[in-house]
Amino acid sequence: MALSKSNKSSSIFNKKRSSNATGALPASAASYLSALSEADASARKRNVSPTSTPALSLSSSITSSSEDTILHEPEYLRDPLLASNKDGLLLPARPPTSEQVFNTVHTEFGHCADERYRTTSQHKLGTPLAPHVEQDPPYYILLSTYISYLILIVLGHVRDFIGKRLNPKRYKHLMPGGGYAPLNSDFDSFYTRRLKTRMDECFSQPVTGVAGRTILLLDRYSPDYNHTQILTGTRTRALNISSYNYLGFAQARGPCADAVEESIKRYGISSLGARLDAGTTDLHVVSEALVAKFVGMEDALISSMGFATNSTYIPALVGKGCLVISDEFNHASIRFGVRISGAHVRMFRHNDMRALEALLKEVISQGQPKTHRPWKKILVIVEGLYSMEGTLVNLPAIMELKKKYKFYLYVDEAHSIGALGPHGRGVADYFGVNPREIDLLMGTFTKSFGAAGGYIAGSKALIDVLRVHGHSGAYAEAMAPPVLTQVVSSMASIMGLQVAAGDTTTTGNGNGIVEEQVYHHPGPAPINSIPSWVHLPPALASGQEGSSRLRRLAFNARYLHNGLIKLGFITYGHPSSPIVPLLLFNPGKMNMFHRLMKERKTPIVVVVVAYPATPLVTSRVRFCVSAAHTKEDVDCVLKACVEVGDVLDLRHGIPVRERWSLEEVVERAVELGTME
Amino acid sequence: MNTTSATLAPVFTFLEHTLTTAQTTFNKLPGSAVIQRYVKSSHQNDPGRTLLELILVIFAIRTLLQSRTRADRNGKNFIQFSEKEIDELVDEWIPEPLGNALTANEQSDLASAPIISGPNGPKPKLAATGKNALNLASYNFTGLAGNEHIKQRAIDTLRKYGLGSCGPPGFYGTLDVHMDLENDIADFLGTEAAILYSQGFSTISSVIPAFCKRGDIIVADRAVNFAIQKGIQISRSTIRWFDHNDLNSLEEVLIGIEKERKKRRGPMTRRFIVTEGIFQKDGAMVDLPKLIELKYKYKYRLILDESYSFGSVGRTGRGLTELYNVPASKVDMLLGSCAIGLASAGGFCAGSRTVVDHQRINGPSFVFSASMPALLAVSASEGINILRNTPSIFETLQDNVRAARAILDRVDCITIPSHPASPIIHIYVRQPQSHQYLQYPAPISASSSSSSAKHHHSHHVSAKDAVRDAEYEVEERLLQEVVEETLSHGVIVTRAKRLKGQEIVEPRPSIRLTLTSGLTKKETEKAVNVLKTVLVKVLSKRR
Ligand SMILES: Cc1ncc(COP(=O)(O)O)c(C=O)c1O
Repeated sequence: MALSKSNKSSSIFNKKRSSNATGALPASAASYLSALSEADASARKRNVSPTSTPALSLSSSITSSSEDTILHEPEYLRDPLLASNKDGLLLPARPPTSEQVFNTVHTEFGHCADERYRTTSQHKLGTPLAPHVEQDPPYYILLSTYISYLILIVLGHVRDFIGKRLNPKRYKHLMPGGGYAPLNSDFDSFYTRRLKTRMDECFSQPVTGVAGRTILLLDRYSPDYNHTQILTGTRTRALNISSYNYLGFAQARGPCADAVEESIKRYGISSLGARLDAGTTDLHVVSEALVAKFVGMEDALISSMGFATNSTYIPALVGKGCLVISDEFNHASIRFGVRISGAHVRMFRHNDMRALEALLKEVISQGQPKTHRPWKKILVIVEGLYSMEGTLVNLPAIMELKKKYKFYLYVDEAHSIGALGPHGRGVADYFGVNPREIDLLMGTFTKSFGAAGGYIAGSKALIDVLRVHGHSGAYAEAMAPPVLTQVVSSMASIMGLQVAAGDTTTTGNGNGIVEEQVYHHPGPAPINSIPSWVHLPPALASGQEGSSRLRRLAFNARYLHNGLIKLGFITYGHPSSPIVPLLLFNPGKMNMFHRLMKERKTPIVVVVVAYPATPLVTSRVRFCVSAAHTKEDVDCVLKACVEVGDVLDLRHGIPVRERWSLEEVVERAVELGTME
Repeated sequence: MNTTSATLAPVFTFLEHTLTTAQTTFNKLPGSAVIQRYVKSSHQNDPGRTLLELILVIFAIRTLLQSRTRADRNGKNFIQFSEKEIDELVDEWIPEPLGNALTANEQSDLASAPIISGPNGPKPKLAATGKNALNLASYNFTGLAGNEHIKQRAIDTLRKYGLGSCGPPGFYGTLDVHMDLENDIADFLGTEAAILYSQGFSTISSVIPAFCKRGDIIVADRAVNFAIQKGIQISRSTIRWFDHNDLNSLEEVLIGIEKERKKRRGPMTRRFIVTEGIFQKDGAMVDLPKLIELKYKYKYRLILDESYSFGSVGRTGRGLTELYNVPASKVDMLLGSCAIGLASAGGFCAGSRTVVDHQRINGPSFVFSASMPALLAVSASEGINILRNTPSIFETLQDNVRAARAILDRVDCITIPSHPASPIIHIYVRQPQSHQYLQYPAPISASSSSSSAKHHHSHHVSAKDAVRDAEYEVEERLLQEVVEETLSHGVIVTRAKRLKGQEIVEPRPSIRLTLTSGLTKKETEKAVNVLKTVLVKVLSKRR
């Protein structure tokens, strides 16, 4: 097991670091873009032969040094470190042609002009959702995993036993003392102290800058086996396949950021209070209407935290005498909300529709425990896309059950909204289900929209009930205007805006005729559904950019997922899911995988998850692909997986003779990225 | 695959684990030595008896456990139905609607919640009329809203970090600006460390269950805010209430618990006092030095919610610890809100390093939620900087508080439960002498029910409660009328919004004023005078 402390990594990049000089940056998008195209043009003119230093020849599109976007060519070229593009992250691998104008910063949102690397995220209508098959690893892997845990546990207890006697000072905070019971007993914290601490190098890594295609790590090391972490002051740029940045809207540059800047100027930072206490601005009203349109519901309510959306609105829906049926892998926020609602809870096996039906039969026929009175109501809560498994809910099957068993359905689309469906409208869009047949759609803005907070959408009457009876309306701070603006601008660019003379209805009011555009789900949004001061450039307003992001995400997800399978790895989840878990099993491999990926020439940061977030044996690494990744980025991840996977003995998936070589996978990417 | 060994391995792990646990817990149990002795001696006398007793014990444990698990297929309560019967039952079952429709009053209250056009602040523009109004409803104690310097810093941050962090703190969501803000808070308050949550309201409902577990004891003020109530509920700890802001009552409760513990010779459990600095429900202020004395005397840990006192009282807004000149390190968990106190977003818990680090793994809404957008964290840090360097803000604020109280204290159709220095001022309708209710009548389930999860009082309202509810309903309508009429005169005030039927104690209806240093003394007086006139007019109608 890799348990030793991490060593300081020092890439050349980190040593040279400019100060926080942001002065040179053009402020507006327009000036930014013109600087970009200028840079592009001069690079093309220079036309360095691609064989020499390919990176340099492409330099000029948009690149960024560690924290500051460098647009000033001379400085850029004078910088040998940048020009060398050593880690391959700063510059696109393919030179932009004269027609291609990229208007994103490559480190935030990768340049990928090849239209072949696109696909649509959609379920084939009428076909059932293929059941999720879990591949078993060879027997010795399981055995060694159990043995690893056994050793860890025994060792931990032995260390506790000896430590308490030889070094009681270190256990003081775990023992009663001075008349106080310990805040955390040695037993309760056993797992944290003896297992998690060994892997702390993989968690809570501090970062800076945009959580986009790449991310800047603040390097750290631990002198005392992870009890303390010390920042070295250097930084490493790494390929980011860990953030929930599905559509790549985590950007510091571009039209959405421009809109946010404008909103800060107009609205300030906060709306100063709860929604029902004068904390509602016109921006909240506009945003909620847009969200309702986006998800295809009558009305929506926005809350300033995704977690709180579940934990404060579920109790307003169910209470004593009601039953909540919850998927066993539902998120902590859902459990939190259900627990404080006072409703009775039953769980069913993850995504197992037969178990759900059996449970429904049982609970409806039995009624409430003891009294056998019928349940007041039954609420089934599922997630659209499960964040640890990458599995999709079997929505068509649930809709069938819903007709028969008359339960209410609450779908948490935290990860699926924006990330699934041909129009990015989540699981309902993906499966072609009419959203209005679902009672409540909940989701968060922290993921696909690069914002924060959450929403809950449903019928107007129901949402009004939540406005009044939900805990947030009376007590929680309303969402901050800059965050709302990010939601509105990113959402509108996914939807696209209707052209001026669209489908209109004419309503006469007192002083004349007002033309109002009609919204057809899931079409483009009426022009007046965003504030007049949010200006989206044509590429976004037409929905072209949004659609390209959706299709890039769908391609990247499938390419990575299918690629890993073809390379012989064991993965979980649905190929369309942008969450791709790769199974590691042994606890010791988590540390190693994380470190080997981070210490590559092109550093890659990954998320590893283990018990208790997953079952004990199935420790995994969880990739979150993004529309911001280029095909080359996915190649890079696949290559790294192969190399690291061979060191760590991870390839136990499909039989060797069915596997593809890395070259073949990279070669046939289009095929992999578009196959079902 | 050979599954036997595979299944055996976890069994071993489990066995090993349970054995160690069993042994340690057994040894920890008081009186375990007695049992040990008893078993040994009885075994000596009659080995067969040991076996029998063992079986009995196992049986007892089994039945105990069974009654706790939910109605199961093999439970006694299970009725066997045929497929056909089940189908009929399914067909017959008619669920209640998912949400009970709003009452007419609720609907009109919802419709009358003001909408601000453009930025909120001391004098926002109302969307309905297009006119500006004086704002005594929003949390902007220090007038930081709209501060140009903060806005500029936020824009700079946006250009460096984008907006969202796209990940929970554990997975690449911890930004340097979050760590900076945490350090700023700890430094400002004088604690070892602090932890940042991404929503103020959700902070304490996560902090409480991070520390308080089943079997622990929480002693809490009867009038704690809703977020605390929910935190207590989810912790499943044993809860004892003391009378609202009455530290003598607190001491009685503490003595009572101590006596009980001695009598039962129970094991040492974690014990917490949970209360607020300035109470959200009525603006009362706790006597912090006395509270700290009690906490040390009876060896409790103190969880103090300063959401409404951080950034609102003290020479530079550090809250109660500054006001009473008590080191913040004496409060074990000091919570505050950057949304309320610093006109930004999020909440924090400050305390010792152990306390803070514990939450990084155990605070549900910290672990399972994305971290706060960078620009909001930077805005909060800038807010702290400004407070640190501008004590005059709080002089203005206190001037405004005094001015407002000077006017309101002379209105005799109202009562004010709030502390004279509190910038949150609650206004009750003065009740006719004949039937005066206690501010916080003893709740129905004041006892030590650990199953506080199920307090739906509305199901068993006593006659007295019904009278009270009716009375409250009348007051609420009157106050709502005041709010709406005041608004029509260009002053925004709000009725303190409550979650009827969901609170532990049904709070008395009130109007809540939130004063701000963003308004001058003149403007504050003008606004409060408008309110006074309307109050007198509307409330006199009642008589
Ligand atoms: C299913 C689900 N619901 C809710 C949340 C909470 O969202 P947020 O991070 O916006 O608080 C998450 C985030 O991890 C989630 O996965």
